[in-house]
Amino acid sequence: MIEVRQLAKSFGEVQALAGVDFSVGEGEIFGLLGPNGAGKTTTISIIAGLLNADSGTVRVGGLDNRKDGRRVREMLGVVPQDIALYEELSGRENLHFWGGLYGLAGSRLREEADRVLELVGLSDRADDPVRQYSGGMKRRLNLSAGLIHRPKVILLDEPTLGIDPQARLSILDIIKDGVTGGMTVIYTTHYLEEAEKLCNRIAIIDHGKILAQGTLAELVKLAGEGNVVTVSGAFSRDEVSPLLKGVAVEYLENGSMRMTVPGQAEMSGALSRLFSAGISIEEISIQEPSLEGVFIKLTGKELRD
Amino acid sequence: MNKILLIVRKDMRRRMRNPVSVVCMLLIPLGLTLVVGLVFGGRGEVTISHIKVLLVDNDKGVASNFLKQGMKQGKLAELIDIVEVDSVAGRSLMDAAKASALIEIPKGFTSRLLDRKPVEIGLVKNPQEAYLPLIVEEITGTMAVMLDGTTRVFEKPIADARKMLTAGRWPTGGEMSGLLASARPRIALIKGYLADSLVSLKSQTASAPGEKPKEKFNIFAFVMPGSILIGLLFISEITMRDIVRERETGTLARIAAGPIGGDQVVAGKIVSSFAITFVSCMLLIVIGIVGFKIAWGSPLELLAHLIGSMLMCVGIMAFLYGFIRSERAADALLPVFIIVMCIFGGAMFPYEVMGPAMQKAAHFSPAFWVIDGLKRISIDKAGWNGIARHLAVVYGVGAITCVAGAARLKGKLAARE
Repeated sequence: MIEVRQLAKSFGEVQALAGVDFSVGEGEIFGLLGPNGAGKTTTISIIAGLLNADSGTVRVGGLDNRKDGRRVREMLGVVPQDIALYEELSGRENLHFWGGLYGLAGSRLREEADRVLELVGLSDRADDPVRQYSGGMKRRLNLSAGLIHRPKVILLDEPTLGIDPQARLSILDIIKDGVTGGMTVIYTTHYLEEAEKLCNRIAIIDHGKILAQGTLAELVKLAGEGNVVTVSGAFSRDEVSPLLKGVAVEYLENGSMRMTVPGQAEMSGALSRLFSAGISIEEISIQEPSLEGVFIKLTGKELRD
Repeated sequence: MNKILLIVRKDMRRRMRNPVSVVCMLLIPLGLTLVVGLVFGGRGEVTISHIKVLLVDNDKGVASNFLKQGMKQGKLAELIDIVEVDSVAGRSLMDAAKASALIEIPKGFTSRLLDRKPVEIGLVKNPQEAYLPLIVEEITGTMAVMLDGTTRVFEKPIADARKMLTAGRWPTGGEMSGLLASARPRIALIKGYLADSLVSLKSQTASAPGEKPKEKFNIFAFVMPGSILIGLLFISEITMRDIVRERETGTLARIAAGPIGGDQVVAGKIVSSFAITFVSCMLLIVIGIVGFKIAWGSPLELLAHLIGSMLMCVGIMAFLYGFIRSERAADALLPVFIIVMCIFGGAMFPYEVMGPAMQKAAHFSPAFWVIDGLKRISIDKAGWNGIARHLAVVYGVGAITCVAGAARLKGKLAARE
């Protein structure tokens, strides 16, 4: 549905994008994960036709977004990072404006506005001026304005920015419920848990480059991340070392050890060898591979707010 | 077209929900008109209020009575309010500035006049008033000349009458006949002046050849065109400012991300600005009619000129906003620009009171053509020919600035480099 090829963009001396390359299939929720300034918003802006790339191409539904700009924009729904709403108008009036912009009119416009108001839980406040809404309510309305015309592709640029965790979860649920009927989504975020929870595939972007992309499992594998098993008990290093040949083991000061094993089979094998040898084990904790670990491994730094 | 109307409808609705800024911009021209108009004479039907004159009559004779009655006759009675007081009260009231002037007729005024001896009428003027005491001085002087002339003409009959009146007895028939006989030739001498004059005075306000007689001058009609221009400029400024504000809040980018052309977005903003300016302008015109009794002249000429003027104001603002990046920059630059343009165009200091050099410079300010055009329509009733150049300038400048402004704004909107 979306093909982004070798996108490059500079703002003066600053290179925002340096050859971004990815594809998103129809109905897929694709996450662009990266810290602030990584190039996520620039990528979204180029796809939406708000910025021209210095080089590279974007095709949406087979159409070039520069040559067939208007037809591409008809397919898109954009939820910007900023709350782009008219505070003087009510929620419903805002939706009527944004829906009207995409050609909705009359009873269809009213029905679609009611539908998305229901979806984001703002039906009872629909006729209040937006300036009276809380931050979370504005975020939800901002999201609904991008969904009102049932776009084929929706670009969500950090739609949960600046709201409390509870409101964030609510937004994620709305996206899960609202993205139906084969809608394709590009979701940018710098929250790992959002990408993990929502996205089918994820691209990790930093300094304008895609460092890795794939499903969570593929990324973990790609980064060589494994399960981390921490074992504590009454054993010595000399006792267990011969049993764990080929396994990365770290012996901790409190007498326990931390093993990193790439997969389930390797983990089961290591633990059975310990049990078979009669090693006294008091506690085992298993930490599954996470996106955070992948991110740290790929970028050499933690994601920051 | 539908999308342009969608933007216009949305902007109009937003303005209606938050009309404070537009209302403030309407109050500025109205306040200016009111203050300047009142300072220069209110509704323009310049009237002089009753002139209060104190009169001290120390004579109580025929001549002093003639003077007093003369001031209470005809038009003078409408103008002058004579209050008779004694000398002490008169001085005290003048010290307290309670009257425009004090006239003091000395004792023996009548007898000295009849004896043809020099005599003075005292006049004390209120120093706090500029013109009213001068009017009293002029009237008193004229009355004194008339009194002197009358006594000169009737010198002989008056002398005879005085003898009879001071003889201590009633005059005989023969004496009365003699008196009348001596008076008759003098009356005959001035009969031509006493009878109805062959020459009468018909006054009217001067008009240029072929011009219709002018209506009563209304100072508000003179002041309000400048104020309207200031209002139009500020209202079109705050409405075009939406471009910058929407850019900062992100709504403009969101609109641009939709299936709408940059030209439609810009057209929508310009039409919105024009529509809001138009409604505000019509409100000012109606307030001018109802509140300030301004006869605006031909409605068609007025409408044509106002539409051109609004086009010009909106166009100038669209053009300027093509170069302005932020609200802060707009705050710093545009009010100064508007005020300078208005000063040069005669919105604050009328063109008529400007020096020759400034008057020449005024023609280079588009503001001049708006203001002068409005004055020609409302005050001079100049007709289409009289405002042809004005229409050409406002529509010309309006069209050029609108096109250039729209191109510039569209370029900025599409500046995706």
